[in-house]
Amino acid sequence: MPALLEVKNLATHFTTRDGIVKAVDGVSFTLEQGKILAVVGESGSGKSVTALSIMRLVAEPQGRIVSGEVLFKGDDVLKMNDSQVRELRGDRIAMIFQDPMTSLNPVFRVGRQIGESLVLHKGMSRKEAFERAAELLDMVGIPHPRERARDYPHQFSGGMRQRAMIAMALACDPDILIADEPTTALDVTIQAQILELMMEMQERTGAAIIIITHDLGVVADMADDVMVMYAGKQVEYGTSDQVFYRPLHPYTWGLLASLPRHDVDEKGALRPIAGQPPSLINVPSGCAFHPRCPHARGLCSADAPELIDANSGHLAACHISPDERLLLQPPGRGGGVR
Amino acid sequence: MTELLRVENLCKYFPVEQGVLTSRIGRKVHAVDDVSFSINAGETLGLVGESGCGKSTTGRCVMRLLEPTSGTITFDGRDVGSMKRTALKAFRRDVQIIFQDPYASLNPRMTIGEIVWEPLLVHGIGDREERRNRVKELLEVVGLNPEHINRYPHEFSGGQRQRIGIARALALQPKLIVCDEPVSALDVSIQAQVVNLLDELQDTFGLTYLFIAHDLSVIRHISDRVAVMYLGKIVEMGDWRGLYDEPHHPYTQSLLSAVPVPDPVKQRTRERIILQGDVPSPIDPPSGCRFHTRCPIAQFPKCAEEEPPLAEVAPDHRAACHFAKPFPINLQGGSADAG
Amino acid sequence: MTTDHRDPRRPRANGPTDVAGHEVRAEGTTLPTLPGDTHAHVQAETATGSRTLWGDAWRRLRKNKLAIVGLVWIVAVLIMTISADLWVPPLFGDPLAVNTTPGASLQAPSLTHPFGTDKLGRDVLSRVVYGARVSLTVGVLAVSISLAIGLLLGALSGYYGRFVDSLVMRSADVFFAFPYILFAIALIAVLGPSYRNVFIAIGILGWPSIARVFRSSILSVKENEYVDAARAMGASDFRIMFRHIMPNAIAPIIVYGTMSIGGAIITEAALSFLGMGVQPPTPSWGLMLSDAKSLMFRAPWLTIWPGFAILTTVLAFVLMGDGMRDALDVKMKD
Repeated sequence: MPALLEVKNLATHFTTRDGIVKAVDGVSFTLEQGKILAVVGESGSGKSVTALSIMRLVAEPQGRIVSGEVLFKGDDVLKMNDSQVRELRGDRIAMIFQDPMTSLNPVFRVGRQIGESLVLHKGMSRKEAFERAAELLDMVGIPHPRERARDYPHQFSGGMRQRAMIAMALACDPDILIADEPTTALDVTIQAQILELMMEMQERTGAAIIIITHDLGVVADMADDVMVMYAGKQVEYGTSDQVFYRPLHPYTWGLLASLPRHDVDEKGALRPIAGQPPSLINVPSGCAFHPRCPHARGLCSADAPELIDANSGHLAACHISPDERLLLQPPGRGGGVR
Repeated sequence: MTELLRVENLCKYFPVEQGVLTSRIGRKVHAVDDVSFSINAGETLGLVGESGCGKSTTGRCVMRLLEPTSGTITFDGRDVGSMKRTALKAFRRDVQIIFQDPYASLNPRMTIGEIVWEPLLVHGIGDREERRNRVKELLEVVGLNPEHINRYPHEFSGGQRQRIGIARALALQPKLIVCDEPVSALDVSIQAQVVNLLDELQDTFGLTYLFIAHDLSVIRHISDRVAVMYLGKIVEMGDWRGLYDEPHHPYTQSLLSAVPVPDPVKQRTRERIILQGDVPSPIDPPSGCRFHTRCPIAQFPKCAEEEPPLAEVAPDHRAACHFAKPFPINLQGGSADAG
Repeated sequence: MTTDHRDPRRPRANGPTDVAGHEVRAEGTTLPTLPGDTHAHVQAETATGSRTLWGDAWRRLRKNKLAIVGLVWIVAVLIMTISADLWVPPLFGDPLAVNTTPGASLQAPSLTHPFGTDKLGRDVLSRVVYGARVSLTVGVLAVSISLAIGLLLGALSGYYGRFVDSLVMRSADVFFAFPYILFAIALIAVLGPSYRNVFIAIGILGWPSIARVFRSSILSVKENEYVDAARAMGASDFRIMFRHIMPNAIAPIIVYGTMSIGGAIITEAALSFLGMGVQPPTPSWGLMLSDAKSLMFRAPWLTIWPGFAILTTVLAFVLMGDGMRDALDVKMKD
């Protein structure tokens, strides 16, 4: 049986006045039923475009998926015609966006917006859909769901809107939920509520989740698997424990060492990654990270490293050899050892 | 240690804007309500809280970018509230601000040289040549190439712009810098660069910071003392270690437990308190303790009727809770006895 | 779930694959090669040296073909009108010279009269060229008056707010409440129809829009933190206004002003068409259209040429304004 979602060598480019932006450049991963995959990276790393590409939502004509395959249960989404893709979107693959303030349409009642996809995909009547929307609101923890379904989005707070978005995404019982920075716009106490809710919903519906975030705390909280992206490329992929405790790529080391922590006793110095993220138009030659990498050598600027399986499914795109890595003692978290 | 800044009973209410014909009087946003704290020279006070808790408003009142509704602000023994033109200008040499948004905080039509130069010009410091050298020196101090003096802000990335903003704040050799969410718009790796820079500058120039942020980890890293705000009030304040190790206020505790730790095993095993509901509106704040509507340990009717004072719970550690007690948080993960 | 559920308290020496078993923060060790150095000089992204913002804007404008077409047309019209005295009368005759000889009136376009002649035998080309003088002068002067009033009131309104703002904006609302062309006619009826009064009237009527645009522009610029930064460094109101707010708030005004010149030209034509504008025999495009309206089918050249002149000139200003909108946007890089 084919995997739930298999992305192979996906590349999405944008044409701008300055040249071609390789927003996503050769990303591959597999998502199994019921798993949570976190895509981590800083702004401009291509993590959001990866998600949009899977949904075929990249804005054309500037943006174009130039190569790759996105196999949903074995069928290539990129080869589907428009109506097939529309059937997929919102029904089998649903998405939650970052900004709960703008992702709901202000002129329609919340209940109607949640019911929309049910009318579209499940052939329900408006009335049935509205009833179901109220149930969904109840499920995501909104008090008085029947009354609130009649409200307009502006009557909802930020946290409630994100709950409503989750309800909307779950309406058709999708196989995959893609959440693009779902808690970035929210306060921490609300973020905790939403993360909790997402995990609960995941357990209940069995949907697989792709969560896109820059917050390593959120990753540690939710993810089974982690994909780290830098300048449009996948630099590391592994289970959450592999990536946090035995990271392979110097960029991942840098990210972990940059974080101020409130869970360790002493204040240690932060070790930032030097320099600035590259412009995606002039991506450095070879390994895109080499100008900022403290371990770069001649080979790194000449040759782009391949994504290699270093250890039971733990992949990294880096020229550093395993022996050398032992000597470098990267800043992993050593299983909580202090 | 000498006290540099003292804020007493600071209040700032904003009128609620209404239509043309309806009355503007009456409803007010209680952005900051009876806030008192002090900062010693050379120290960093972290002001932390969620959006709308009044932390930025407090910072702006301290700078007199906003006029406080009531309360007194004393800087270096001088009363800031009563300052007139000349005194205020002198005060502004001593107190500077660094902003959150690296895009909105630099005038896009000025070169970075002009931006850093401007405070020197406004205060008539040095002649042309001296100013020019000083600007180059400042750019160097914040880690920018002084040759880029003639470039415009849009030619720089977010982290670099934030450095320009820091150079501008340093130009007048201030004593106090209000840092208003200076790193929250930056990517993690760049955020660490800027935090380290601020740390170094504090050591080099003996600066005092009022550091405002919503990120508890950043606040912990940079602060000597920390004040936690909720709905316009300080609910807990104290030495960073005491506050993070033994938070006495249930809000501080839930805040700390809500921040996910970038360590999967710890995160899976540690205790969490998930607060219910949303922050109430500051237009009509709850009676008694403002946190009682979401508090996991509230006891009624006391908490809904009586406002708890900010009382000492340990040396240099105060909390505003009727039932304040040390809540050791198990942030470290593992079984509860591991903490 | 992963199988790597290790005891958090287990010492890291366990397990040969534990490459990363290293807690940097807690142990306070330094990684010799990991840069904690924030002082590394960070290069700006662009490799080119500094450029001025106006230079940048001009470069962007040049890339916009339609805007350049507009600009070229405006410049061409300007050169034609300024130099008109040198070449128009000798080649095509005086625009005011009435020719009553039989057959001289209503001539179709020919080599001697490329645009034909009107019912008084005057050369249409000559009148269209001189009409441009009226149109451009009225356009520029009217908009200058609107700008003078509008910028001042808009600035006061935006910067000081409160009472001044209410006063200015409510008066603007009053102006907006009147039908524009009727208001212009009424104003001219009071002032008396003349060349000068046309641009005064159009200018007076134009200020509310300028004030509005400028006010909202100032209000949005004022929200920027660099304005707070200037206040925090002790800069004077004057400095904040002229160094920080104005230069950033003026772009929409340049755009709107450019487009308004086109609007003013149309209004002038309309007023003259109605007989409330420029008075005969001064050539004005609107007046020419008015004269030609009864002859539209007999002598179509009488309407076509002034109509064409109005259309192209107004369009040129609109295209220019549109191009400037993009060119003046600082955030749009190249």
